[in-house]
Amino acid sequence: MPMSMTDLPLLAALKVKMKWHQGRQQVLAENVANADTPNFRARDLVAPDFRKMLSGGAGAVASSAAMGPARTNAAHLGGGGGKLGAGMAVTKADDWEKTPEGNAVVLEDQMLKISENQMDYQLATTLYSRGLGLLKTAIGRRSG
Amino acid sequence: MDFLSTLKIAASGLRAQSGRMRVIAENLANADSTATTPQGEPYRRRVPTFVSELNREIGAQVVRPGRILTDRSDFKSRYEPGHPAADAKGYVKTPNVNPLIESMDMREAQRSYEANLNVVSSTRRMLMRTLDILKG
Repeated sequence: MPMSMTDLPLLAALKVKMKWHQGRQQVLAENVANADTPNFRARDLVAPDFRKMLSGGAGAVASSAAMGPARTNAAHLGGGGGKLGAGMAVTKADDWEKTPEGNAVVLEDQMLKISENQMDYQLATTLYSRGLGLLKTAIGRRSG
Repeated sequence: MDFLSTLKIAASGLRAQSGRMRVIAENLANADSTATTPQGEPYRRRVPTFVSELNREIGAQVVRPGRILTDRSDFKSRYEPGHPAADAKGYVKTPNVNPLIESMDMREAQRSYEANLNVVSSTRRMLMRTLDILKG
């Protein structure tokens, strides 16, 4: 069976991870933009289960549709035109942080998550280019 | 779901917060705007609102400035018999703007604006990292 380069388990798993970070960045941006909207509750994306992916072998990794974040409630919206098959799980907001108009977005918390998301994404992109470097070494060119 | 729609969401937040800033500036500028006749009303404080709406193009909850409502609390009054708007007892109604509340609101708007800017710069950095993969 012919196999494209991006079907390699390592690169496919990193691709899923990068997609998840992209989706998460969008959800976190929504939270920050709505930090003063009445009755808005902060949301977050459920992380894909990489352990299950690893035990499922290369086939499971290649089908990125199965990697979408879990949709825990029928009322959840599919994110981003459904490209990710994504749903969003509502995080429980601490009641003591709820403002009188019902907003439960803690700005500090969101900032922390955004920088964490950014750093993890950097890690994934670095690993991805290292993976490509390995392939370059294998075909006899100096890796970058 | 890509970084460009994330930037759009953050931009909606920036727009909403700067609209709020504009209303606060109006309130502060009009803090001394009294009427010119005894029957007239002074400036009434205005309150900005935010509405969260689903942007179908990017499939996300963006924020937009809602209707600007008026603060229905009572006007303050000041004893100034010579003022053209003074009533029979010599009191002038002054706007229900409290500069302390306005400056707290302004600080909050500023903080939210900065948070959205932070999202923009963080997303930009992630975007640049994606382009770095191409460089190998």
